[in-house]
Amino acid sequence: MATLPAALAPRPAFAAERRAEQVLGQWYKLLLELIRHTATYSPPVAARSFAYLGITAFEAQATGTPALRSLAGQVAGLTALPARDAAPHDEACVLQGALSHAIAAHFGNTGPTGQRAMQAMEKRLSEVAMAGVGQDVADRSLAHGIAVSQAILDWSASDGGAVIENMGFPYEYTLTEGPGHWVPTNTTAVQQHPLLPTWGQNRTFAIPMTGGCGLPPALEYSEDPASAFYAEAKTVYDISKSLTDEQKVIARFWSDDPMLSPTPPGHWVSIMLQIFDRDATPVDRQAEVLAMLGMAVSDGFVQCWRSKFEYDLLRPITYIRRVIDPNWEPLLNTPPFPEYPSGHSTQSGAAAGVLEAFYGPDFAFEDATHEDDGIAPRPFAGFAEAAEEAAISRLYGGIHFPSANKNGLEQGRCIASHILELKTRA
Amino acid sequence: MRKVLPLLLLASPALADEPVTPQFAKETTGLATPYMGDWQYMVGGGAAVFDCDADARPDVFIAGGEGPAGLYRNLSEPGGTLKFAPVEGVSETGVTGAYPLDIDSDGVTDLAVLRVGENHLMRGLGDCRFENANAAWGFDGGDAWSTAFAATWETGAAWPTLAVGNYIDRKEEAFPWGSCTDNWLHRPADKGFAPPLPLKPSFCALSMLFTDWANNGTRDLRVSNDREYYKGGQEQLWHMEAEPRLWTDKEGWKRLRIWGMGIAARDLDANGFNEYFLTSMADNKLQVLVPPKDQTLPQYADQAFKRGATAHRPFTGGDLRPSTAWHAQFEDVNNDGLADVFVVKGNVSKMPDFAQKDPNNLMLQRADGTFLEVAETAGALSFANGRGGAVADFNADGKLDLLVVNRREAPEIWRNVSEGLGGFVSVRLSQAGANRDAIGAWVELRSEAGLQRREITVGGGHMSGQLVSWHFGIGTADSAEVRVIWPDGQASDWVAAQPGEAITLKR
Repeated sequence: MATLPAALAPRPAFAAERRAEQVLGQWYKLLLELIRHTATYSPPVAARSFAYLGITAFEAQATGTPALRSLAGQVAGLTALPARDAAPHDEACVLQGALSHAIAAHFGNTGPTGQRAMQAMEKRLSEVAMAGVGQDVADRSLAHGIAVSQAILDWSASDGGAVIENMGFPYEYTLTEGPGHWVPTNTTAVQQHPLLPTWGQNRTFAIPMTGGCGLPPALEYSEDPASAFYAEAKTVYDISKSLTDEQKVIARFWSDDPMLSPTPPGHWVSIMLQIFDRDATPVDRQAEVLAMLGMAVSDGFVQCWRSKFEYDLLRPITYIRRVIDPNWEPLLNTPPFPEYPSGHSTQSGAAAGVLEAFYGPDFAFEDATHEDDGIAPRPFAGFAEAAEEAAISRLYGGIHFPSANKNGLEQGRCIASHILELKTRA
Repeated sequence: MRKVLPLLLLASPALADEPVTPQFAKETTGLATPYMGDWQYMVGGGAAVFDCDADARPDVFIAGGEGPAGLYRNLSEPGGTLKFAPVEGVSETGVTGAYPLDIDSDGVTDLAVLRVGENHLMRGLGDCRFENANAAWGFDGGDAWSTAFAATWETGAAWPTLAVGNYIDRKEEAFPWGSCTDNWLHRPADKGFAPPLPLKPSFCALSMLFTDWANNGTRDLRVSNDREYYKGGQEQLWHMEAEPRLWTDKEGWKRLRIWGMGIAARDLDANGFNEYFLTSMADNKLQVLVPPKDQTLPQYADQAFKRGATAHRPFTGGDLRPSTAWHAQFEDVNNDGLADVFVVKGNVSKMPDFAQKDPNNLMLQRADGTFLEVAETAGALSFANGRGGAVADFNADGKLDLLVVNRREAPEIWRNVSEGLGGFVSVRLSQAGANRDAIGAWVELRSEAGLQRREITVGGGHMSGQLVSWHFGIGTADSAEVRVIWPDGQASDWVAAQPGEAITLKR
């Protein structure tokens, strides 16, 4: 049997001291599964929950950690959160109260297996959190965590994204007329209307409601072989015909399909959970990063959706079958909403921008997010490299034109700059 | 209340030649077994339909989940109301589903009983009596959450090969996802079965079917898997070789990932290749083989949308949320010579994103291959929480009735009371030696309405199986001919059949 490097060997005493980290880490591990297995959790919806849950974890600690600065008064609509009373609190129990309450609320609609899992996790982590803690301290701490969670839930209810019907597909929708606009790309009945067409109207955390991180217009539609639009489509087509094994691996690695993965924002959260484990990151830093990352991907999706439905561009599969090759099949399934820009690119650009601010540009890591699905881990020299690979993966997958990936990444960087104006340290 | 334009309109042809809508009457028949239990019984709830007392009337075994299963003797008079009486002495619990077949080829139908816990092979003793034959047949029933079953007789085998699909590791609480347990292949050995061969990888099967999809006399194992629980999984097709192996993408298999819950198969256009209806959540698939030119590869196009058979949300009742579909079965319920499809539906368990009032679908096939939903106008509307089911002629009147097993509610049954339907022919197969019911055969019927073909299988549906006389509607034809292509490929002569005739093809 191979021997673990000393740094990775079990350290029981150390583990016992890290009760709060266990609470945060285990709830987030379950969170990734709940995202995957709850039918309403398309990527924008998942990003929203990552934002609120990250803020919940952060604020629960900020109320008792002078070094942390609350986001109240900084992000849109968040007012002062419940203060702790003067009696002692336990951070693990505060987190346990906050996260068990918040996750149960976000996933009240998950199936029977998810409900069963949340109950099992609540029981398991209550034991972890309360180990060695006096009952009065534990009760007080759990109650405070719940109070913080409830306040954030109350705030979240008015952002426009709290209620999801029909898995996010509107019951009624009128397609935009014109050859350059989005039309359904598959024969799944509910997907004959685009996903979440009003998501771009949701309240954001840090970017302005209008004029924040807009995009240059999509290329003008044309079927002329000499046009720039045709050239982009031909690029998608040509690459699809000559994909290398490595390019196929990249496409599938970042495919991050809803209901079959933790989604694109969950992929970034997964990366961070792996890094937290690897580096034994303190819980206050974990919560701080998860809050900022969550807001970045959430605002990323809102802004991206504003652009998607502003330009309402058709997908490569529609154009290529119409103009170039009627039998063309892309490697990946085409998502059921307009093309420009690439959502994965926007939110990956936003995620990488925020994470680089915490860790620097050359922070190497290995990403094993999809190992359970039989997809091998991939190493990255830094967050920007990962984001760029996520963006190019959409070209390899045949679901985006090059401009959507390039401009999506740029849009994401813009969003990150707004998020980074928030102060999380006193 | 919002009004939604039905998407089916997109697929509707001209309405001039709509199929005849059959009429059903819900009856109180004595069937009283609800499918009970909580988490471990959120799937399952099957019914086995077969004649256990040799009176040519199909009897019924119903899974009871955590409660007792029920065996019911069919007391219905020909053409009369449907009546069943419970049979004492079968005290199976933990049952998720069951499939009838003559395992030991003694001419008495046995029962494969799927359970949470050890599966049981119940040897038929006649007169609806059974005994557990696990030990006698060397059958290792295991200890799993079994949720799918199929059987075939491999070439030259005296005993069947049984495939058992298993679901989640039921001991996993916080992280059950990705814990799919191995499916098993029980192959013959001496007078019984060898130790089960695990079919790796396994992806939480909810339906399995040995099927001659390529129409070449080879029966591969098709497995429909629940994507809710697998990781890295997909729908599967196994080459049934000495060492079973999966069809791969390099062999043309196209990855499909759905909440696979049930398989129905029928060669709808008699072109030699089965179509497959796959049930799921919010979407169902009607797969049509579209192989590359001059090749027979397992490549399918989904035509459910094109043919109006998506059944993706309730068609009535005001609940617009997506549907949850379980059992599916092709049968000709209006005897017009075209197979229709019955789909049983019900919410998994108070899942708020999916319809709570989720009616079963009865979709009639039109002459152009599209489908017309008629459950409500046919009098078979139900908002109960369905799981398994059966379409069968319980009162020998040549008109197919509907049975549904419900979660936490009594089964429902609808008698086909239609007047003036087209004619029918029923066909039973019998051969000497092993595989007496000729599982794996194809039965063909030709009449002025054209050719019909159906593969005789044990498996598919949602944990529900049948061993009955095989039904063919023949419309207004005043005569027909039938033949069988036996499992070994030998074709019988065509045999004349009159409307209403029950034919047994023997060898």
